[in-house]
Amino acid sequence: MSHVARFARALRERGVDVTLADEADALSALTLVDLADRSEARRALACALKIRPRDREVFDALFHRWWSLRRGTAGPPQAPRQKRAATRPAPRQAAKPVPIGRAGEQEGPLAVPEGGRQPGYSPDATLRKKAFDECSPADLAAMERLLARLALRLATRPSRRRVPTRGAGEPDLRRSFRGAVATGGELLHLARRRRPTELPRLVVLCDTSGSMDPHARFLLSFLMALRRVARGSEVFAFNTALVRLTPLLRMGLAPGRGLARADLALAMALDRLAGAVPDWSGGTRIAECLTEFVERYLDELVTPKTVVIIASDGLDRGDLESLPSAMGAIHRRARRVLWLNPLAGDSRYEPTARAMAAALPYVDRLLPAHNLESLERLLPLLAA
Amino acid sequence: MSPEVSRLLEAMEAEGYVADPAIATAVHLSREMRRPLLIEGDAGVGKTEIAKVLSRLLATELIRLQCYEGLDVSTALYEWNYQRQLLRLRLAEQEGKAAGEIEDLIFGRDYLLERPLLRAITRHEGPPVLLIDEIDRADEGFEAFLLEVLSDFQVTIPELGTLTAEHVPHVILTSNRTREIGDALRRRCLYLYIEHPTVEKEVRVLRARVPEASERLAEEIARFMHALRERRLSRAPGVAETIDWARALLTLHSDHLDLETVEHTLGCILKDGNDLREIRERGRGELTALLAAARDLEETAAATG
Repeated sequence: MSHVARFARALRERGVDVTLADEADALSALTLVDLADRSEARRALACALKIRPRDREVFDALFHRWWSLRRGTAGPPQAPRQKRAATRPAPRQAAKPVPIGRAGEQEGPLAVPEGGRQPGYSPDATLRKKAFDECSPADLAAMERLLARLALRLATRPSRRRVPTRGAGEPDLRRSFRGAVATGGELLHLARRRRPTELPRLVVLCDTSGSMDPHARFLLSFLMALRRVARGSEVFAFNTALVRLTPLLRMGLAPGRGLARADLALAMALDRLAGAVPDWSGGTRIAECLTEFVERYLDELVTPKTVVIIASDGLDRGDLESLPSAMGAIHRRARRVLWLNPLAGDSRYEPTARAMAAALPYVDRLLPAHNLESLERLLPLLAA
Repeated sequence: MSPEVSRLLEAMEAEGYVADPAIATAVHLSREMRRPLLIEGDAGVGKTEIAKVLSRLLATELIRLQCYEGLDVSTALYEWNYQRQLLRLRLAEQEGKAAGEIEDLIFGRDYLLERPLLRAITRHEGPPVLLIDEIDRADEGFEAFLLEVLSDFQVTIPELGTLTAEHVPHVILTSNRTREIGDALRRRCLYLYIEHPTVEKEVRVLRARVPEASERLAEEIARFMHALRERRLSRAPGVAETIDWARALLTLHSDHLDLETVEHTLGCILKDGNDLREIRERGRGELTALLAAARDLEETAAATG
């Protein structure tokens, strides 16, 4: 039955999260069904491994291949099946990693253009107004600390659950009465309860195409810092394809691990994104990416409590026909849709880029995102 | 197919639920492995119905917990009957009982209001079917609490002690996927995702649930629905809508689909203002195309068959 273990590992390699406990479930499930019936075995496995609809395609293709290989040891291999499995699109498997910085830059994959300041010179006030694309690598660390502090001030809203409180709040009969038993039924103290504040859920879609290059790094840093506060938030990156970054970012956020680890995770995420999209500097396909988001993730990840943030300059050379329907779907479902545009920091900016203009009717707020100050202004809008 | 699964499939059909092998396999596994079954899928694909059918099959009680935002322990598990406790307390005082004695008295089982989860755990007469409906609507905190209950099937009431289930209930959780269910809870369960039915399955559902409808009408309706779901809709109609629609058409004495009837009854199947407006705006051409899809296949089938 090492087949199950290998099958599970293959699933994990393709980004489907399957745990050891699931493998154990799969093993017991397989003892309860007719193994000679291939589709029954597949159904039992999907059930025990808890395969969600978004992973179903990967699962089915892999099962196909796995099963025919297994058969292959006993009889002649079934060519058509293997062929179908081999032609399966594999966007999650990064091919060759391509650095995400501008070609020819020496500072490494995440370099930003040189600004020329001395390390440690910049006081907060200057940093906050400094445009991201003018920042030196030296500003980076200071800025990331600021970003993290900023994220902690995230707005909250009251939950509908109630928790005990010492201060004001509605009377809590249950606790009051329990207290009264000690005093022979006299209510000497009225216990109260109130609604705790609730952290918002965010879904962020960040454009990492060539034109966003100087900004993407800061935005992603900020969004990662937000994730520390608003747990359960989701981050996606897109340029010509959509990549869900959350599983990668989670690695960098484990407690006790420093920023370096988070940086590594981010670098890996960006590399992976670059690897998945060979033509990474070719521009953005906003419409396709948003449509993919709507089809694969909207139902599960966006609730009426979710604030959706799209960070993009709206410079797009792709086909925009499906953009209004995708944006409309997101807008209908989310609590609020915010669009961060680094170009909007310029007072002369007008949302005339084609994609920006097409998306605007479905955006609740269009906000600049070129420096820390502008990100600060974003916080009150993030209330769940 | 293993004999148990095919038997279950037949038994469910005999109870009026048109299952498919995936559903039967999942229910079979959940029973044998004594694990809760988490069922996800769009609204109206028949998730809740599975629990109802299962309770009928096992001839046991169906205990239902409907989830909503703000659902808490006192609604889901238990609550003390304060009014009764207070009355008893006054009475006991007049009788001059000691404080400790009074406390034992009023924190007894008689003063406990059982809510669905506690009821499912304390049921004497064999395991019930516990349906936890629309878990995605409850808060994430409640999910964590539920995880605890579903792991041990025991509940601790501070004043009474720990109550352990005499019979482990058959648990079915449903979710419309308005949010993602936490990993821990999903792993605790077995998982089933129900898709919209195929045309054949929907015809069988219609024949079973609306036997008055002719074969032809059932087939036309099923194909129409199938074609409709292919369109980009924000809320695709489920089987529940199909059944409603078939009943509505029968009330109007239609034995086939025509443009006018469809136009008038569109509200039975499209329950989202935007969808309804969009299909209407696209005009008669769109409906004619959908109707053609409903009939075309039929004629091809007639030609080949």
